[in-house]
Amino acid sequence: MGPLWDHGTERGPVESGPARDPDEQERFERLTLPHLQALYRLAVRLKGTPQDAEDLVQETYVKALRAFPTLRQPDRVKSWLFQILSRLVLDHHRSEPREIAMGDLEELDRFSLYDLVWEEDPFPYSDHLHDDFLAQFEDEEIRGALLGLPEAYRLPVVLLYVEDMSYRELAEVLRCPIGTVMSRLHRGRKLLERKLWECAKRRGLIRTWKP
Amino acid sequence: MNRMTCADAMKQFFAYLDRVLSGEPLEALEAHLEECLACCDKLAFNRQLDAFVKTRLEGAPLPSGLEGRIRQALSRAEKQS
Repeated sequence: MGPLWDHGTERGPVESGPARDPDEQERFERLTLPHLQALYRLAVRLKGTPQDAEDLVQETYVKALRAFPTLRQPDRVKSWLFQILSRLVLDHHRSEPREIAMGDLEELDRFSLYDLVWEEDPFPYSDHLHDDFLAQFEDEEIRGALLGLPEAYRLPVVLLYVEDMSYRELAEVLRCPIGTVMSRLHRGRKLLERKLWECAKRRGLIRTWKP
Repeated sequence: MNRMTCADAMKQFFAYLDRVLSGEPLEALEAHLEECLACCDKLAFNRQLDAFVKTRLEGAPLPSGLEGRIRQALSRAEKQS
């Protein structure tokens, strides 16, 4: 699989000035606007509010227009757009810690929401303890838990859940090796389990749990 | 082949669910699952959790007029050049 653009750097496509030919802008819109729904769906799950999602999508389109002359594979324009949006999300949060400390990683690898629910037994008379536990969550709580993940983990997890991307597609969009995709998806989902447990404690779903 | 511990098995769950595990790691995990009911239950829970979260992320209707606003932003960007 070759590069999606002509002379990009590791930071993504190079902006080579806007497409000056009006026909070029029309061609850009014809190629990219069919993916607006997919980009918005992704943005809203990454940012949380419709306004922030719209801003992100708009920024993605403007950046893509400027980089359009360098796009080499128009048939893979969707991946290219996702790549630009992902880079914008990661760049916006460069000052925040993106990685998890090693000690926390070991603890995270051992974290099991299944075990905690089993041990705390929040529904002592339930025949379907884990089903009943999950059924307590509102949509907004699940989305909120996901928004609490650092971007480097939230991005691959959301792309997997919302876009059903393969590891290979994720590696292309996130511009990282497949091994990194694999570990981010593992840890991202572990972090999500931990966030759901914290949410359950806050909500008082865990009656036996004492702070 | 060394026998896999439950902790090692858990580290492979997501790769297994995403169908990217193959060769020896896949065989080792499947051998472990055949003998460990607890890990089978945990794996089933992770599969269920994936499906559950996925369902809860569905439905993000496009705000009305968004396509028009994007076109306007593109024209503005073009003029600013």
